[in-house]
Amino acid sequence: MAGTPSLASSSRFASSPGLALKIGVLAVIGLLIAGPLLRILFETLMPDAIAAWSDVVASPLSRNLLWVPLRNTLILGFGVAAGCVLIGGFLAWLVVMTDVPFRRTIGLLATLPFMIPSFATALAWGSLFRNGRVGGQTGFLEGLGLSIPDWLSWGMVPTLIVLIAHYYSLAFTVIAAALATVNSDIVEAAQMSGARRGRIFLGIILPVSMPAIVSAASLTFAGAVSNFAAPALLGLPVRMQTMATRLFGMIEIGQTARGYVIAILLIAVSAFFLWFGNKVISGRRSFATITGKGGRTKRFELGGARYPLFAAAALICLVTTVVPIVILIASSLAPSSSALFSDWTLHYWTGASTPSIAQGQAGVFYNPFIVSATTTTVALGLTVAVAGSILGLMVAFTLATHRTGMLSAAINQISFLPLLVPGIAFGAAYIALFGAPIGPFPALYGSFTLLVIAGTAYLVPFSVQTGRAVIQQVSGDLDESARLTGAGFLRRMGAITVPLASRGLAAGALIIFVKIMRDLSLVVLLFTPTTPVLSVLAYRYASEGFTQFANAITVVILVVSIAATLLANRLQAKSQPWLKN
Amino acid sequence: MITISNLSKSFAGFDAVRSVSLEVPEGAFLVLVGPSGCGKSTMLRMLAGLEKPTAGTIAFGGKTVSDGDRGWMIEPARRDAGLVFQSYALWPHMTVAGNVEWPLEVARMPPAERKARVAEVLRLLGIEQLAGRYPNEISGGQQQRVAIARMIAPKPRILLFDEPLSNLDAKLRVEMRTELLRIHRATGATSIYVTHDQVEAMTMATHVAVLRNGGVEQFGTPEELLATPRTAFVATFVGTPPANLIPVGPADGGVAFAGQPLAADFALAGPAQAMYRPESLAVAAEPGPRSLALDFAEATPVAGRIMVTGIKGALRLTAVVDRAPKFAPGDTVHFVIPAKPDALFTPEGEIMA
Repeated sequence: MAGTPSLASSSRFASSPGLALKIGVLAVIGLLIAGPLLRILFETLMPDAIAAWSDVVASPLSRNLLWVPLRNTLILGFGVAAGCVLIGGFLAWLVVMTDVPFRRTIGLLATLPFMIPSFATALAWGSLFRNGRVGGQTGFLEGLGLSIPDWLSWGMVPTLIVLIAHYYSLAFTVIAAALATVNSDIVEAAQMSGARRGRIFLGIILPVSMPAIVSAASLTFAGAVSNFAAPALLGLPVRMQTMATRLFGMIEIGQTARGYVIAILLIAVSAFFLWFGNKVISGRRSFATITGKGGRTKRFELGGARYPLFAAAALICLVTTVVPIVILIASSLAPSSSALFSDWTLHYWTGASTPSIAQGQAGVFYNPFIVSATTTTVALGLTVAVAGSILGLMVAFTLATHRTGMLSAAINQISFLPLLVPGIAFGAAYIALFGAPIGPFPALYGSFTLLVIAGTAYLVPFSVQTGRAVIQQVSGDLDESARLTGAGFLRRMGAITVPLASRGLAAGALIIFVKIMRDLSLVVLLFTPTTPVLSVLAYRYASEGFTQFANAITVVILVVSIAATLLANRLQAKSQPWLKN
Repeated sequence: MITISNLSKSFAGFDAVRSVSLEVPEGAFLVLVGPSGCGKSTMLRMLAGLEKPTAGTIAFGGKTVSDGDRGWMIEPARRDAGLVFQSYALWPHMTVAGNVEWPLEVARMPPAERKARVAEVLRLLGIEQLAGRYPNEISGGQQQRVAIARMIAPKPRILLFDEPLSNLDAKLRVEMRTELLRIHRATGATSIYVTHDQVEAMTMATHVAVLRNGGVEQFGTPEELLATPRTAFVATFVGTPPANLIPVGPADGGVAFAGQPLAADFALAGPAQAMYRPESLAVAAEPGPRSLALDFAEATPVAGRIMVTGIKGALRLTAVVDRAPKFAPGDTVHFVIPAKPDALFTPEGEIMA
């Protein structure tokens, strides 16, 4: 070592910028992600707050504070996971493995519900199935003279249905991707051995796709337990509480310490099942199939069941995509949701304020509050998209250039932490950290900056993924082969890196934009009248009974986010191997 | 005995197999060989019962198993046939032993007998020590053996192979060739083997069907194909190295070979193709009375002899000789053409009497 001082010093020189980069990135994501989560934990351990733990977990109050909401949350989690795996798995099997007609269309439709925010589906459900139980306008079906029972109108059943309708497309995507890698040869090999269809399904197809099914189940479970919009809109009016709505309620009424305790417990529930799912999968062997000739995929012949199964799939897809959108649009035009398709008026869109309708609320386009919310939301989306893309690229770059070491491992772990944290709990953590001034910095609560920081931090896992994809696309051989031609750094950036990366970056930024646009659970706690955002506004209008306004705003969000998603898909030329052929 | 009569298969207007008829005796090793897209894999899949023929019939031992004319076939498992897929198609979630055992379980073989049979075939293939491993934990050659073990475990009377060696490296391929022949002899079953590699075809087969564009170009033993190729395609497809074809035509005082008049002991009325086996040609550094000048391309030592190849325009000639002058790239090689060709074909490739 002593004999090679120049080498040692030069290697130290080479590694020090890397170290600075790593420390810098770690500091940023530590502050953005780990900071709030640690803060919320310490907040509940403060001497004046520690009693909140016993209040929530073991006190006469805990039945209502924790156990009943926890039971409801788990019912939702398991119910939604089961429903999503069944429906998503069924559609994935149909699209990937069988000769059902219009497979591509079904495959496309089945990915759409995830683009529709869950509060949109919940609002659409309300417009259809509301009954008179909690007062206000009744839904379309009651308007037709049907009597809708309470259980179908409010509470657990509609929440379950709405969440399944929202999350099954996530299960579909995961399972379809896995089935697409199943070589049709292994099915034919089973056929050669004389196994019947049922035996082939249970003995071959099901076990091979089990990892995907487990991961679809744990992802949809985590989604359902974290969801705020659906239980809030359909459950709260009849006092059905989940952990997410209870947490929201506690913080709204100022019992922050109890709220934080519930947030921590909610994170624990969601993270436990994600971890558990992961463990089940990683305990098994990887089933990446050995591919041979490929291309010759023989589809399962459905025979006479072809059209009935197609009809079932088409019905599922239409009911979860087109129907809610049509209802929302109709209901934003109809004065009474009990008569969705009559007396249409543009009042809720372009009308001026008249005291006779909706307590003098002006139409969406003229309502100053909604206009300012639209500006804020779009500005928030754009700012987070830019900030998130830059941060994601930085983290991905750091991880790509420094694969090993403690710091890199920490960066990697922290950057994926938000995936485990329900949005509403993340929002609570941000209030805990930034609700009060920190040293010389003023309290950020109620500021646009807080929304930007929270949104950026919450979407770090997605932006890092995008950054990784971009770096993978560009780095390595491509850059090196350009280097061998003698092109300088700037030349390479201009000719190779930027053209290759720009599409991926733009697509990633658009997806971040969409996620912020339609997010409710993260921002619902950070919302203040000075920083109105559309999704929270829609939620507020809905809970105050102004359904037309809520639905009109939701239609705006839908149009913007679907347009942005389609554009992002185009940019990515997103490969969906199960749709080929 | 396998009898294939007028077998045809069309996919959406494309004729993959056109009216193929052939027959091989019990215990034969039939190789279907041809370039990619010639319909050989479709033939195999029809034999396996995975595809229904559009027309024609297949009979195993006198019993019809597929009848395209009546749109009917016996399902794969009831044909007493086993198939090794090109991708091996091992079930990734079952161990090696599990893969071999599952078909027996489906066939309701009693457990004790089943275990014994699994152990027996694993031993036959020399992979008994891999019984507890999963397919993605073993090498390509070992996966190949598992696929074969799985196929032969239920003792089918017909063994079907779909390009089984094409995913293996060159050395392993030669070993597995021998291994497959050993299995074929050990089971006594009739084997049908699909490949695009004519070397595999010529070394393994008792019967070869050369396929081209969905039809049989020639059917016979390897020796027959080499000795009397019926078409120019077969002549240039089989043999190591394959035979040479020289375009010939009538000329003053003899025959023009690739445009150059030379004396010949046959007369021509119109253009034709003359076939010369590599061992019929000789090479020289200087021009002779019966030589064609080509640009030297390569020289390879082969089993004590030398294989010399020359190129000129579209003409490519290969000669296998005992000794040859030392050529370097840029040299001219003079190929000495015998007066009598090994065979004559029409310009369309049909043999001339």
